[in-house]
Amino acid sequence: MDSDHANERVIDGDKSLSDVTHDIFSPLETRGSGRWWAGFLLAVSALLLGLVAVGYQIVTGIGTWGLNRTVGWAFDITNFVFWVGIGHAGTLISAVLLLFRQKWRTSINRAAEAMTIFAVMCAGIFPLIHMGRPWLAHWVFPYPNPRGSLWVNWRSPLLWDVFAIGTYFTISLLFWYVGLIPDLATARDRAKGLRRHVLRFFALGWTGSARTWSRYEIACVLLAALATPLVVSVHSVVSADFATAVIPGWHATLFPPYFVIGAVFSGFAMVLTLMLVARKVMHFEEYITERHVGAMCKILVFTGTIVGLAYMTEIFTAWYSASAYEQFLFKNRAMGPMAWAFWIMVSCNVISPQLLWLRKVRTNLGLVFVLSLVINVGMWFERFVIIVTSLTRDFLPSAWAGYTPTSIEIATLIGSFGLFFTAFLLFCRFVPMIAASEIKSVLLRRRAGDDRPLAAGETQPPADADARRAA
Amino acid sequence: MSRRIHVALYTSEEKLLGALRASRKAGLTVLDVMSPYPIHGVDDLVGIPRSRLPAACLAGGLLGLGLALWFQYWTSSVDWPIDVGGKPWNSLPAFAPVAFEMTILFAGLATIFGLLLRSGMLPGRSGVIRDLRVTDDRFALVVTRPDAAVTDTELAQLWRDTGAVEHRDIVEREGDR
Amino acid sequence: MPCVGKDEVRRHREMTWMRVDRYFTGEGDDTQAVHQPMMCQHCANAPCETVCPVLATVHSTDGLNQQIYNRCVGTRYCANNCPYKTRRFNWFDYPRADELQNLALNPDVTVRSRGVMEKCSMCVQRIQEAKAEAARTGVPLVDGDIRTACQQSCPADAITFGDLHDTESAAAGLARGPRAYSILTELNVDPGVTYLADVRNRPQHASGERHGQ
Repeated sequence: MDSDHANERVIDGDKSLSDVTHDIFSPLETRGSGRWWAGFLLAVSALLLGLVAVGYQIVTGIGTWGLNRTVGWAFDITNFVFWVGIGHAGTLISAVLLLFRQKWRTSINRAAEAMTIFAVMCAGIFPLIHMGRPWLAHWVFPYPNPRGSLWVNWRSPLLWDVFAIGTYFTISLLFWYVGLIPDLATARDRAKGLRRHVLRFFALGWTGSARTWSRYEIACVLLAALATPLVVSVHSVVSADFATAVIPGWHATLFPPYFVIGAVFSGFAMVLTLMLVARKVMHFEEYITERHVGAMCKILVFTGTIVGLAYMTEIFTAWYSASAYEQFLFKNRAMGPMAWAFWIMVSCNVISPQLLWLRKVRTNLGLVFVLSLVINVGMWFERFVIIVTSLTRDFLPSAWAGYTPTSIEIATLIGSFGLFFTAFLLFCRFVPMIAASEIKSVLLRRRAGDDRPLAAGETQPPADADARRAA
Repeated sequence: MSRRIHVALYTSEEKLLGALRASRKAGLTVLDVMSPYPIHGVDDLVGIPRSRLPAACLAGGLLGLGLALWFQYWTSSVDWPIDVGGKPWNSLPAFAPVAFEMTILFAGLATIFGLLLRSGMLPGRSGVIRDLRVTDDRFALVVTRPDAAVTDTELAQLWRDTGAVEHRDIVEREGDR
Repeated sequence: MPCVGKDEVRRHREMTWMRVDRYFTGEGDDTQAVHQPMMCQHCANAPCETVCPVLATVHSTDGLNQQIYNRCVGTRYCANNCPYKTRRFNWFDYPRADELQNLALNPDVTVRSRGVMEKCSMCVQRIQEAKAEAARTGVPLVDGDIRTACQQSCPADAITFGDLHDTESAAAGLARGPRAYSILTELNVDPGVTYLADVRNRPQHASGERHGQ
């Protein structure tokens, strides 16, 4: 497969190795554009708003949220599942596409993996702050203690979450860091002064030796092979929070594959949102090309259609089960007091991505951007519908209740976006956003052998006659 | 004890591979190759043995699996059995998710720390960088002459023939490496 | 139990451990209500216990579903997974500024802090006290020695408490009877609470449906 795709272009423009280095690393050596600062200030403001909301909630009590005795989870766990789902596309791009030798991933894998890490950070906050007594959160870890030792309940899906999210974050972070080492070394070798010392610390003494590269490549394939089942397991475990429960609308064996594909769907939508912005702001149009956008759009149509199939399967199962509770639940979802949320979910997740079948839509980047936002909204509502409509009306009508979010919950959601974008914008400024060493390994020119020995004093290889370089 | 090593720089993967073959043919000992990206097919020419990282990965995974299963069993069946929802003390199916996650975690950590330790990569380590441009667009070939089998003139000719853009000789003492 | 005030009750945050559900039959003037007290059912296969990550709700050797307040971290997963929705959460610190009122609180019952779950404990403090007393005096417990607070205060004597393993106990006898049923048995949660079907002699509606079953 490797050689078959030798002529497939990953990036635009006839770049030499040093062009790639220059394009990717020089933005990191500037002070940041006005647009970057504007975005950063906006993100930090949202983050501060969220911090105030969470601080107030922890000091005053969970009662500041709109929850009640019937609806014990709403925005908190919706946000948790939403952010974990966002993270999954990063792992999919870096690990699954690596195993399938999809070379186009090299332009976006670094940023997508960073997105994973930041999304999992956002996700991890919610199980923590949703606790009535978050200062006792360490009790979910099994450590020897003077209470017995009283261990933990290994049968609880929330405990599985602790281990799944913990492992996912650790492995994603280390995988990302390992992938970053060669590029940190490039940045180190370009830098001077303090910056060089800092980068030297993080580059771990990388020399580019073939011995290291050999081990490094094996380690990357091993990590990809581990991350692939990991990403499937993580959202399956998240879905087990609901699937193992007895509540109609939660208790469904369909949930693990349904959640995993939904996660891929929402994650790719978020990757598209971020990449469409980043390629403009960071001037990476030649690296994140329209072909990359097109490939991601196709993944969105594919996964969006499966998500639609999952929705229909759920309804079919309810009808076929002949369970009065299940049948009532789906009638209530589609026609009850929270039907608006259900129909937002269906129109955003099932109907809107079908537009991407059209090439005209896929090549209209503005429209693709809007669609990616619509899908993000739809996938948030999917989790909201699953969690809240199922809880509001379960077995005994005497216990039914509604749910209305408070301003504190909305501010916390905004705050989580603030954290995500603050982290992502810092990443764009301080870390090479595109995996330069991987781009170099898939450059066409390196195989062409068109470079002559350089004359003394010449540092740049000459450009080809047909080079379409803008600079 | 010191030895003389020779570093030649090239501008492309093809030239480097050509020079690598020519050096071996001329009787030089290839010490290492430095490149901005991994070059396929270079391992055999430099004589790099197959990495044992897959074994470390497997061992880590098995350790994680075994530890997780044993610990869950011990805490819920032996150390303090508690009736939770009428489930058996040893609720093995419910222990599967955590056992799986621990398998992946330990396998991943074994792989990453195996890579870092075997390659001598640690925070703050400087490493022997032959040329600052090997992380940009240069390919470095590092060789030594066993018992001066190749003369200085032959070596200079070899560098010219293979298209080296730069070359230099370094005297390396034992403590430098 | 704290009084949370009408605003909190309006937000469905009442703290009562027992609610009385009503089911209606008939139309207009002919409407009849059947009352069904609903509290923690002390399920043998309790869905709430399985989902708690920190073992804050577990089963006692007596067959009680126990809530351990000082272990609870407040994930509320147990309340979500309770098919009867009988669990109550301390959304805030419910302060009692009036010291005199504090003195009137039951000293045998733990005061729950903010962020923990609570529910009907089947008056575990009375059970424990009676068991301790029996151990001290050496006189074995007999059926009727322990009465729960709800049983004691029900003027219609509609609630019976006893050991279901003791086949001679009044509770076990009623639970074996033809009118006995449990709620949501199809979930296989195996509730420890048994209800008795309401049988009314109403000749003019001999074929009428009976709810509350």
